[in-house]
Amino acid sequence: MSRIRAILTPWRAIAVLIFGAGAWATYLRFVEGWRAATNLSDGQPWGIWVGVSTLCGVGLSAGGFAIAGAVYLLGMERYRPILRTAVIIAFLGYLTVCAGYAWELGLPWNFWHPLVMWNRSSVLFEVVWCIMLYTTVLALEFSPALVEKIPWQGVRQFYLKWHHKVLIALVLVGVLLSSLHQSFLGGLFILFKGKEYPLWYSPYETTMFYLSALPAGLAMVIIALYLSMRSLGVKLDPRLLQEISRMVTPLLIVFALFRFTDLLRNHAGEYLFLARPETAYFWLEIALFIGLPLVLFNLPRIQASPVGLYWASAVTVMGFITMRINVSITALERATQTHYVPKWPEMAVVVMLVTCAVLAFRWAVLHLEILPRAPKATRWLAAPAKA
Amino acid sequence: MSSEAKAILIDITKCIGCGNCASACKEAHHQPEAPEPTLSATAFTVVETRGDKFVRRMCLHCQDPACASACPVGGIKKTAQGAVRYDGSKCIGCRYCMIACPYGVPKYEWSKLAPYVTKCDMCAERVLAGKPTVCAEACPVGATIFGPRDEILAEAHKRLAEDKNYVQRIYGENELGGASVFYLSDLPFEQLGFITPPNPTPLPTLTASALGEVPTVVFIGGSLLSGLYWFTERRRAVALAEAKERAEQKRR
Repeated sequence: MSRIRAILTPWRAIAVLIFGAGAWATYLRFVEGWRAATNLSDGQPWGIWVGVSTLCGVGLSAGGFAIAGAVYLLGMERYRPILRTAVIIAFLGYLTVCAGYAWELGLPWNFWHPLVMWNRSSVLFEVVWCIMLYTTVLALEFSPALVEKIPWQGVRQFYLKWHHKVLIALVLVGVLLSSLHQSFLGGLFILFKGKEYPLWYSPYETTMFYLSALPAGLAMVIIALYLSMRSLGVKLDPRLLQEISRMVTPLLIVFALFRFTDLLRNHAGEYLFLARPETAYFWLEIALFIGLPLVLFNLPRIQASPVGLYWASAVTVMGFITMRINVSITALERATQTHYVPKWPEMAVVVMLVTCAVLAFRWAVLHLEILPRAPKATRWLAAPAKA
Repeated sequence: MSSEAKAILIDITKCIGCGNCASACKEAHHQPEAPEPTLSATAFTVVETRGDKFVRRMCLHCQDPACASACPVGGIKKTAQGAVRYDGSKCIGCRYCMIACPYGVPKYEWSKLAPYVTKCDMCAERVLAGKPTVCAEACPVGATIFGPRDEILAEAHKRLAEDKNYVQRIYGENELGGASVFYLSDLPFEQLGFITPPNPTPLPTLTASALGEVPTVVFIGGSLLSGLYWFTERRRAVALAEAKERAEQKRR
């Protein structure tokens, strides 16, 4: 019994549950079909596999290009200790997004079609290409962490020498590609004029997506760093978290100004206080993504405590997810007269994909040189025998 | 406008709601016979009852279709004959076209494991062979007529001029850049469930202007970032040189 308990820790039990549910959901999706696995319909053909998996997966990975650009191009050396963390979060984020298409696409085996069948007038075509190229760039940016572990010195040196030569170009291309597709994910919604509820339709949805991804991506980096310090024995100057959080506030203010100026410019002001469900979702988004984070990140007590910054970042990320769900789901419900609530297998797949990314991140921090770690402390030699 | 371009005119004042068009369409496309209330994966056209009016729904075959501009693999094309055709062999199943369509026309085969998008193809094969669409052929009262686009449009204008009971508007002539299916009605179109066009020009012009900014973003962004990098490196080099100089002075 104690042996089972030692192997099956609560977290492992949860992981088993998540993968069990994910496997069942996958069975439903590929064997029983769409109706058994999803609540998608002709009125809402995208659901959370696009709204959360793709839109949030890409958006929350924005820390990768932001930090890489800050360190390599702007010379902000103070962020160098967290560079690899930001890059691996982005890399895993994009891998998760790509993997998610196996479930999301109706004909996933045709995923390679955009490579050879082009439609330059399609925003989605542009997005697909950018995501493919940027995932490659991230793999290359991240590769030294793996190559370092190759036991042959010659191979290592050869690779790292070349990598060093092209690194700046890689980072520059990465920033450009990111800026393009982070924006164009918002650009997808420009075509839905007349269908998108006025509180979310904007001809500048591109800029909106870009400006919102930056603070959310940084918040994600704070979350990952805090959890690594707490659970993976990472030793890091806590002031670094504070440093990152200082960038979040101005970014959020810029986004908030843009958001409200744009609303008024689109004459959507009259929709701000209507007694409709959309209004509630809108203010929830504003509270979680703008209001609360701006207050929390600027309370001295929170700034001084890593756990406080962790929770402030968590709220920001929640707000970000709310925003993306609103743009892709809430905003369409009135025009298409479809009320969509995801079915459990849809959620199980998303949770399973996120869990994979978290486990891969954990493995990388434990086995690669991502973050400085304290030597392993032996806490308890063995669980005390119970009577 | 090429003269091969064809069009359909649906005159709501003439429709008797018999549903022959819908069943002929289903037969021609090998779909289950049972009539359906709304457009679906197995019904490319249906006749809706609105008060005492019958309104036939189908793809409008836009001149500049939002669905075609949305498709990342170019799987939807406007043909010279006027049809907006879907090519399932290219489709990846992203379903962007379904949301992009302002009229909610493309449907999905949700009950299949390898689902395709479905929509009216304006009987493309028949039209190429010089025949009218089955819906036009099946109509017993001439509420749907088919022919060259310019002639059909001229006929619609003639009817409006001759009978002032018509709402003086051809739905589909200018909506979102125009279509290849036109409607005439004696009741305002909004009362019959037609959408008010959200844009004076075709929807793809909206995304085209965003996509047009790509080269600018790449060029200006690229130059700006390279400039910043150069500046960063220069600052680093100067700082290094100064530090060396200071060390030199100290030694003396």
